[in-house]
Amino acid sequence: MNREALIHVVDDDESFRTSLLELLTAAGFEARGYASTGDFLLDPTPDRPGCLLLDVRMPGPSGLDLQASLLRQAKTIPVVFLTGHADVTTGIRAMKAGAVDFLEKPIQRDALLDAIARALERDTGRRKAHDEAHRHHERLAALTTRERDVFERIVAGRLNKQIADELGISLRTVKVHRAHLMEKLGVATAAELGRFAGEGRNLHD
Amino acid sequence: MRPDLRASCRPALWLVVLCFALSGRAAGVANDAATVLVLYTNGRLVPGNVEVERGLSRTLAGLSSRPAHIFSEFLDFPEFTGAAHELNLMRYLREKYDRRRPDVLVAVAKESLDFTFRHRADLFPGGPVVHAAVFKSYLDSNPTLPADVVGVPVEYDPAGTIEQALRWHPSARRLIIVNGATPRDTEWEAQLKALAPRFEERVKVEFLSGLTTAALHQRLATLDADCVVFTPGYYQGSDSVRFTPRDSVEAMARVSAAPVYGPFSSLIGTGAVGGRIPSFEAMGQQAGQIVAHLLSGAAPATLALPQVMPNQLTIDWRQAQRWGIDDAQIPDDTMVHFRQPTLWETYRGLAIATAAVVLLQAGLIVALLLEQRRRRRAEVAVQVQRSELAHASRLSVAGELTASIAHEINQPLGAILASADAAELMLKSGVDRREDLLRIVTRIRRDDLRASDVIRKLRALLAKHAPEREPFDLGLAISDVAKLLEAEAHRREVTLEVQTTQAEAAVVGDVVQIQQVLINLIINAIDAVADMPPDRRNVTVDVKSAAAAITVTVRDRGHGIAPEHLPRLFDSFFSTKQRGMGLGLSIARTIVEAHGGRVWAENGPREGAVFHVELTAAAVPNSVSMASA
Repeated sequence: MNREALIHVVDDDESFRTSLLELLTAAGFEARGYASTGDFLLDPTPDRPGCLLLDVRMPGPSGLDLQASLLRQAKTIPVVFLTGHADVTTGIRAMKAGAVDFLEKPIQRDALLDAIARALERDTGRRKAHDEAHRHHERLAALTTRERDVFERIVAGRLNKQIADELGISLRTVKVHRAHLMEKLGVATAAELGRFAGEGRNLHD
Repeated sequence: MRPDLRASCRPALWLVVLCFALSGRAAGVANDAATVLVLYTNGRLVPGNVEVERGLSRTLAGLSSRPAHIFSEFLDFPEFTGAAHELNLMRYLREKYDRRRPDVLVAVAKESLDFTFRHRADLFPGGPVVHAAVFKSYLDSNPTLPADVVGVPVEYDPAGTIEQALRWHPSARRLIIVNGATPRDTEWEAQLKALAPRFEERVKVEFLSGLTTAALHQRLATLDADCVVFTPGYYQGSDSVRFTPRDSVEAMARVSAAPVYGPFSSLIGTGAVGGRIPSFEAMGQQAGQIVAHLLSGAAPATLALPQVMPNQLTIDWRQAQRWGIDDAQIPDDTMVHFRQPTLWETYRGLAIATAAVVLLQAGLIVALLLEQRRRRRAEVAVQVQRSELAHASRLSVAGELTASIAHEINQPLGAILASADAAELMLKSGVDRREDLLRIVTRIRRDDLRASDVIRKLRALLAKHAPEREPFDLGLAISDVAKLLEAEAHRREVTLEVQTTQAEAAVVGDVVQIQQVLINLIINAIDAVADMPPDRRNVTVDVKSAAAAITVTVRDRGHGIAPEHLPRLFDSFFSTKQRGMGLGLSIARTIVEAHGGRVWAENGPREGAVFHVELTAAAVPNSVSMASA
């Protein structure tokens, strides 16, 4: 399985937590257990792919509380809820807040591993998206102010002549900026440039 | 006016009558007291004489119009006989009664009558003579009596007596007839010998006459069972021992191996069985009646008298029993002496009263038993009803707690499944991780026990069961309840604090029912604080153990109880909850009171409600079996 993934288990029931960690370890995951939401928050979470297996009902802040808190902090680790008693209201609340799954104990191994797999997949996707956005951002940051002006106008669909007029520079100068910025952004054709711009719009919206 | 007059007259009238009566009586005593001389043939102590005297004196006292003084004299025949004796007697009687002439002379038995005839002119001129106990045969063989000598003759019935004896002893083959040696005895012997042929067809008749008493007794003692003895008794045998006939019969009956019969009533009670006999007392009575008539002025010739004294079949009941004579063989008109009343006859009154008391008592006992049974049934019915209600209410509590219960059970189940899955994966990996597997198995077992423990507690709490009366530790029971309710409290974000004492708080009762009461109170408390701000969302349970009572207190920090609700709080169907049935506290109170305790509510000093459950502490705080739910 995913050797890099780190799975976090938050459950106040020591026995269940231990057993679950044992299972995850045997299934080839690296896993860490926490007795409460507080313990989890205090642990310096390494930036690794992974997911959070979260008990709903615990002393102190509940699993739902932790989920809400993570969302507010834009920490987007995928959450799989584990509960002793699944009541509909809690389930709906959890799923609406973006939980990957809501499982009732005792949990079938396949269901658990499947949920973990989906959570990790989501995490991978998220991480990839995050990386691309990051790269996009870095390339854009390499452009000079003038090159940036030109880029935005190209993406907005202006012709070179129009850009030269708008910026009050010569047609030739526009062409030089355009050659530079395409080189910096790593695109060869106008079509590629358009795609880059589209990806950026998706990533930053 | 007239009634007053009559009332005052009446006492005076009575007084006059009384005076006349008294004066008349006094005159009678002085002038009219009659003298009756009774001349007995034999001695004073001969029983026949005693009976005659009794009959005569009683009858005379009852009948006579004149008071009569009865004097008794005894010729002492046959002990004293002869001319000299008679002369002495004559002189004595003449001098004694010279100034008190008898109005009537009674001669008892023939010798006395003979004596009277011989000396009447001398001693008692003019007075009428009444005879008693004189044989009819004697009278018949003598010249006709003078008109002023009257009486009812006696006819002894030895034949009838023997007939009766043979009827009562049908197996008898020998008839033994005993006689003495005095002239009187030989006279009887002659009479009986004349009768003997009448019985010889049926039995062998043997005469034992003139033996010495010792020899006679020996003969009697060796008789067979097929013998019947008849004797008129005797005065003297061939030895010098003297008897009255009665005494002689008594001595014979004592030694005889066969039943003894005789012709005289005086023999009854001596051991003789009985016979067809005239009663001496009846003879005395008859004589008394005649005397009474004569004293009242009747002429002797005008008296209508029976030809002969009737003979009465008489039997000594004790002897009848001794000789096996069945009651059915005793004719109805028989005079039965000495019948021993049966227990029933003797104690009938007592027996009836006792039986009545026993019956009454039995009735009372039955009634009480029935009543007790009815009451017990009613109690059982109430208990069943209470137990069913309690069960229903527990089920409803269980419904409310479903989430918590499921959580409690699924937690260990989840752990077990995870452990099992982990073990499977380890085994599939092919790597030898025996120690890890062992650890996992150990954990599986522990979690399994945990799950079953939860289920056991729940089942104990929810199961329908007959109420028990067992000692249990209240502190332990509360801890169990707290464990069960902690999840629920947490779910509703309420802090549940339980403070039990160190010492055992032993009470006797049904642990499940008491736990139900506590669950009820604690859930109520949780409900009460559910909508309070977080710092007031707590419930405290504590146990205080005193010498006689143990008190559990459940405190919440909610709104408290409205004063107008306090009095009705424990009433059935009273509820302040929107969905409440209003049975919880009512059942709680029923249960606590059935345990001899009490439950009450009040508002806390600052806030919230406080419920107290007080139970009687069990006597033995040590060896308490720890019942747990």
